Amino acid sequence: MDPSLLHFPSIRGAVLRALALVALLVLAALPAGAQSPPSADAVFALTASRDTSGDLKLGWTIADGNYLYRDKIGARDAAGTALPVTTPAGEMKDDPNFGPTEVYHREAEARIAAADLGDGKSLTVTFQGCAEAGICYPPAKRTVDLATLAVSAAGPASLATGFAMPKFDASPFVDEAEPASETTNSPIAWIAPDAPAPNQTAATPLMAGNPVVMLAAFLGFGLLLALTPCVFPMIPILSGIIARSGAETSAKRGFALSLAYVLAMAAAYALLGVVAAWSGQNLQAALQTPWALGLMSLVLVALALSMFGLYELQAPAFLTRFLQPATGGTGGSLMGAALLGFGSALIVGPCVTPPLAAALLYVSQTGDVARGASALFALGLGMGLPLIAVGTFGAGILPRAGPWLGRIKGVFGVIFLGLAIEMAGRVLPGSLTLGLWALLAIGTGVALTASPLSQRPLIDHPRRTLGFAALVYGAVLIIGASAGAEDPLRPLAVLTEGRATAVATPYETATRVTSLAAMDAAIGNARQQGRPIFVSFTADWCTVCKTNDRTVFRDPEIVTRLARASLIVADVTDTTAETQALMQRYDVVGPPTMLLIDPQTGREIDGTRSIGATTTAAFGSNLRRAGV
Amino acid sequence: MNRRDLLALSATLLVTAPLLATAAWAQQVDVNAILNDPEAPVGGNPKGDVTIVAYLDYNCIYCKKSAPDLDRVVKEDGKIRLIYKDWPILSESSMLGAQLALGAKYQGGYEKAHHALMGLSGRKADQTAMLKAMKAAGIDMTRLQSDLDTHGPKISALLQRNLAQADSLSLTGTPTYLVGPFRTSTLDYAGFKQVVADARARQAE
Repeated sequence: MDPSLLHFPSIRGAVLRALALVALLVLAALPAGAQSPPSADAVFALTASRDTSGDLKLGWTIADGNYLYRDKIGARDAAGTALPVTTPAGEMKDDPNFGPTEVYHREAEARIAAADLGDGKSLTVTFQGCAEAGICYPPAKRTVDLATLAVSAAGPASLATGFAMPKFDASPFVDEAEPASETTNSPIAWIAPDAPAPNQTAATPLMAGNPVVMLAAFLGFGLLLALTPCVFPMIPILSGIIARSGAETSAKRGFALSLAYVLAMAAAYALLGVVAAWSGQNLQAALQTPWALGLMSLVLVALALSMFGLYELQAPAFLTRFLQPATGGTGGSLMGAALLGFGSALIVGPCVTPPLAAALLYVSQTGDVARGASALFALGLGMGLPLIAVGTFGAGILPRAGPWLGRIKGVFGVIFLGLAIEMAGRVLPGSLTLGLWALLAIGTGVALTASPLSQRPLIDHPRRTLGFAALVYGAVLIIGASAGAEDPLRPLAVLTEGRATAVATPYETATRVTSLAAMDAAIGNARQQGRPIFVSFTADWCTVCKTNDRTVFRDPEIVTRLARASLIVADVTDTTAETQALMQRYDVVGPPTMLLIDPQTGREIDGTRSIGATTTAAFGSNLRRAGV
Repeated sequence: MNRRDLLALSATLLVTAPLLATAAWAQQVDVNAILNDPEAPVGGNPKGDVTIVAYLDYNCIYCKKSAPDLDRVVKEDGKIRLIYKDWPILSESSMLGAQLALGAKYQGGYEKAHHALMGLSGRKADQTAMLKAMKAAGIDMTRLQSDLDTHGPKISALLQRNLAQADSLSLTGTPTYLVGPFRTSTLDYAGFKQVVADARARQAE
């Protein structure tokens, strides 16, 4: 047995497999293998005739389910000179994948003028086509005897004219790197916009190298991410946990709690990587459901109420007893910190799409789940380092005990309620959310103004000033909400600007789709207009999308330029099989992901994809690449 | 090709099975050369239990259409050995694409180059587009040129073998996928899964 077969599980298996393949070859060699695709000869039958003027008429009969390309019909005289061939217009075949092409079904015709034939004795005709079932035939070549008009096979129109290796000038491809501002689409520099074009999995070189370097790099990216708003909501949560643990706050305790919180957060990111690698689903996107967000909001409300002193939150007694020996009596709150860390990573700060996309690309290419997961763990750790610092040193700053602690707890309670509203706002209507903000502002105002005076003007006056301001702000929010406003920072804008603001966002004209079928239809329509197609994957719960909308998509220049493209918004708010299929088709890990499609080919234009937060400059250069 | 066609194919296979005894076939068609060409790039799991031999052309629209589904099945299955047979038959630049992709093999970048070239839309990819796509996929272009210069004869010989094998198999066009004992063309995701399952079932017999 040939040694090269030895890597098969068993020699017997190898023999069986070889025999099976022989069976296949036999089948292939049978002249009319019933089920195998017919040969090009059987599909495209060519005849030649002369009309009264002496022009040569070539006619093809094309078997059903097959087609010839108009631009692949050609003829050469015996000396090999190309002859002018006249063909009628074909049908436009417009497969969304391949762009418009002119083809002939059932029959095709071509003419060569008598004058062009000269006194040649024969000519060769070449043509090429495909079967709709999904196979393309090699170019066929026929000889036409100009005296008898007999058509004979001239062998395959072999392309193997020579095997000379290509020579190309590598220099333009060597140092093509553009300035960082051009290639960077997100605050984190390592998501090159040209990396994940569909069907083109470019390895993120970073992840392929030394694992220590890779982990250090991801830790660094995590630190950078910690400066984005994603992590901000976690600071009050962590501070709240530490403040809640009350009198025993110390740097050591703060460190332990924040470490538990951060490790759990990092573990959650690693888990995201593993789940995504195995299922192809962005678990985080799946968790942005009304249920998960509602649950997290409730947890925050419960925390807030405990901050207000309504009750003491404690882990169930049996759990505390179980954990006590191991953690020296603080198991309950360490556990709580870890649980909140885990939940926060998954639900509170859904900004993990860009790093997840990079790590997933790598995992999907190499199948190296462990490396992908450890990279995301390092990323989570990096994001958490500032939190650990806050937890450790912040804890020392917090006063030990006394009425101060009660007030600080109250502040955290208000912040928790705010976070709860922010999260619920991802799925609730904008005006309702604004109403909730109004209630929170008024509630805070009442608490600040109504509590008894301490007879210390330096504390009482600012407190009451703040309280009245909160009351007024709450009232203004209620007015705004009832007028249909949604932006808590500009609640009255709707009253002064009317509908003007609404028209300013380019999304107003966009086609919204939530399924693959609707997307295909929308792209089909858009392609008929011939303008570049801008596709934006977004979701109601996607906070980064909203940031992009508020900044980049309000930029007058971007708005003007986007007006020159057809806009499609893929709304993946709900996680359904339909939206999953839609994301999978375009290799989208999660929103926000934006890309531009060439109306000619129907394919994504290289280098126009951006994932995550973007800037006007970066997005503008993407548009430029697409000629918008 | 749908499941019914596959079943019909299997039936035909059984009918032709007695011909297996004919030793002559083995000489005309060198099975070992097709399954184990040491120069042919291998993807998927090199120790997989089902082998898919893919005859492909970089100007073949149906190859491009079926590539993502095939990749997905190979990735998800985890036990498929995928052998790439560059079979440049459709257009002038097909040969160029095959040479470039095979040249990238020497820097360990065949699949990268392959996916980049399959990702180019349409049936008339030109040299500039191909080189650009490969560069974007992270191929070292200086190295590629030097590998093409150094290993040109080896690449040519491999392409010659691929063309000859395809002829000996009387393949009619691209794409052609040999999946275990089955021969097939463009399939969708479910189709590839089905044929792999059928091939596995047949091998277990």
